[in-house]
Amino acid sequence: MTAATWSAEQRRAFTIGLAPALIVLAAVTLGPAIYLVATSLTPLTPLTPGSGLDFSTPLANYSQALFDSSFVHSVGLQLELSAITVGLQTLVGLGLALLLNIESRFMEAVRTGFLVPMVLPPIVVAIIWKVLYTPNISPLYAALGALGISAGSLVTDPTWALPALAVADTWEWFPFTLLMVLAALQMMPKEPLEAARIDGANAWQMFWYVRLPFIRPALTVAVLFRLIDSIKAFPLIYIITNGGPGQATEVTNYYAFIQTFNFAYWGYGSAIATMMVGGVFILSLIVARLGGTQAVGE
Amino acid sequence: MSTASTAAAAHSQATPQVRPRHRKIYWRRHAIHAAGAALLFLALLPVLWLVLMSFRPNADVLGAGLLFVPTLDNYRALGGGGFPDSFIHSLLASTGSTVLSLVIGVPAAYALARYRFRANKQIAMWILVTRMAPPIAFTIPFFLAFTWLGLMDTVSGLILIYLTFNLAMVVWTMKSFFDAVPRSLEEAAWIDGAGVWQAFVRVTLPLAAPGLAATGILCFILSWNDFFFALILTRTDAMTAPVAIVNFMQYAGWEWGKIAAAGVVVLLPVLVFTFFVRSYLVRGLMAGGVKE
Repeated sequence: MTAATWSAEQRRAFTIGLAPALIVLAAVTLGPAIYLVATSLTPLTPLTPGSGLDFSTPLANYSQALFDSSFVHSVGLQLELSAITVGLQTLVGLGLALLLNIESRFMEAVRTGFLVPMVLPPIVVAIIWKVLYTPNISPLYAALGALGISAGSLVTDPTWALPALAVADTWEWFPFTLLMVLAALQMMPKEPLEAARIDGANAWQMFWYVRLPFIRPALTVAVLFRLIDSIKAFPLIYIITNGGPGQATEVTNYYAFIQTFNFAYWGYGSAIATMMVGGVFILSLIVARLGGTQAVGE
Repeated sequence: MSTASTAAAAHSQATPQVRPRHRKIYWRRHAIHAAGAALLFLALLPVLWLVLMSFRPNADVLGAGLLFVPTLDNYRALGGGGFPDSFIHSLLASTGSTVLSLVIGVPAAYALARYRFRANKQIAMWILVTRMAPPIAFTIPFFLAFTWLGLMDTVSGLILIYLTFNLAMVVWTMKSFFDAVPRSLEEAAWIDGAGVWQAFVRVTLPLAAPGLAATGILCFILSWNDFFFALILTRTDAMTAPVAIVNFMQYAGWEWGKIAAAGVVVLLPVLVFTFFVRSYLVRGLMAGGVKE
C-alpha cells in the first residue's frame, strides 16, 4: 500500500468512526434546538389545534416576556439565587481547599468523602434539605429548640426562602470548587512558595501574590461552570418550595417549567427556554475562550 | 513532582533555620488532618441523618433522638408498591443509555483524538454547549416528539433523551484518555497490516480500559441521578426511582420513613460507583472545562 492510499484509507476510517456520533448528536440536540426555536415563534398550546403552525406573529412570545412582570421577576430571582449560591460555593470551596491542601493518604480519603454531596442524586439532596427545613421533623430546629430558641420556618418566609435554597445548593456543590482548586494547588510548583517564604511573605501575601494567580484559571472555570449549572437548579425548588411562597422562589427555569407543563403555554415556554439557551451559549463561549474546548479542538 | 520534592529537600538541607520548623510542621499536619475529618463529618451529617431516619421505627420516624431500636420496616414497605418496578426502570434506562453512548461515542472520541478534522473546534463547541444547555430546552421538543412517536412513558424514550448529556460526556472524556495513549503502538500494528479500527480494538482500547470503565460509570451515575426528564417524560410504565420517591410525598401523604428508605436505596449504587471512579470524577463532571 502506498503512503497516499494509506492516508486516504485512514481518513475514510476516521470519518466513519466519527459520523454515527455526529448524526445521533445532531438528532438529539440540533433537531430539538431547531424545533424549540420554531415553537417559540408560535402560540402553541395543546388546547388549540393548529396553533403550532401559526407563525403569523412570530415574536409575540418574546414581546410578551418583556412585559410579563412574573418573567421579569423570575430573572431577578435567578440572578439573586446564582449570585448567592455561586458566591458561597466559591468562598467555602476556596477556603476549604486552602485549608486542606496537604498531600497524604488520609487527606485523599477525606477528599473522596467530600465528593458525596455532589454525586448524590439531586432528588435525595432535595429530600435531605426538605427534612432539615421542615420545623417539626428537622434535627436543626430540634437542636435550636433544645437551646430555647424558637425559629420560624425559613422556606415559607418570602424573604428567606430563596437564600435557604441557595444554602442547600451550596451544600450540594461546594465540593466542585473545592476539588478543582485543590487539584490546581497540587500542581503548583514548590519553588515560588519557597522563594516567597524566604522573602518573608506572610500567609495572606502568599495567598494573594503566589497561590491565587496560579489557581485563578481553575477557579474561574469552576465559577463559570457553577454559574451555568445554577441556572438549571430544579429538584431543590420542586421539592422544597415549589416556587413559593407566592412566587418568591420562581426562578426563570422554574417559571418556564410552570408555564409549559402546568399551564400548557408551549410556545411561551419555548421562548423562555430559547432565551435561556442563548444566555448559556454566551457563558459557554467564555468558558471555551478560557481553554474549555482545547481538550477536543486542539 | 519528584524533581520538585528533591529540589525542596536539597533546599531544606541548605537552609539552617528549617530544622526547628520541623516539629511545628509536624503538628500542623495533624491539626489539618483533624480539621479535615471534622469538616467532612459536619458536611456529611445531613446524609447520615437521612440514613438514621430510614431505620427508625414508624412511631418515632420524626423523632430527633439518637436512641431507638433500628428496624427494617421502612425498607420492607418499599417492596409492596411500584417502587421495585421503578428501580428496574432506572436500571434499564441508565444501563441502556450508557451502553449506547459508549458504542457510538468511543469511536468518535478516538477519531477526534487521532485525526485533525477541519471542524474539530466547532464540534468541541457544540459538545460544550450540549453539556451546558438547560434541560427544559430539550424537554419541550422531546415531549412533543415523544407524544407523536409513541415514546412517551417508555424506557426507550429515556435512553434516547439521556443521550443528550451522555454522548457529549463520552466523546469529551474518552478523547482525553485516547490522547494519553501513545500512537507508536498502533502505528506498529498498522505496519503489521492491521486496519485503523482493528488496531484500535486490539491495541488502543485495551490500554484505555480504565478510562472506558470510568466513563461508563460516570454515564450511569448521570442517568441514574436524572429527575427532571423522567418527571416530565414518564408516567407509570417507565417511571424511574427518583420520580417514584416523589410519589410517596404526593399521593399517600408524607410517608417520611419510606421516603428516607427509598432515598437510601437510590443513593447507594451511586456511592458504590463513586468510590471506584473517585479520581476521574472531577474530570468527568467538568467535561473538558480545563486545559489538559
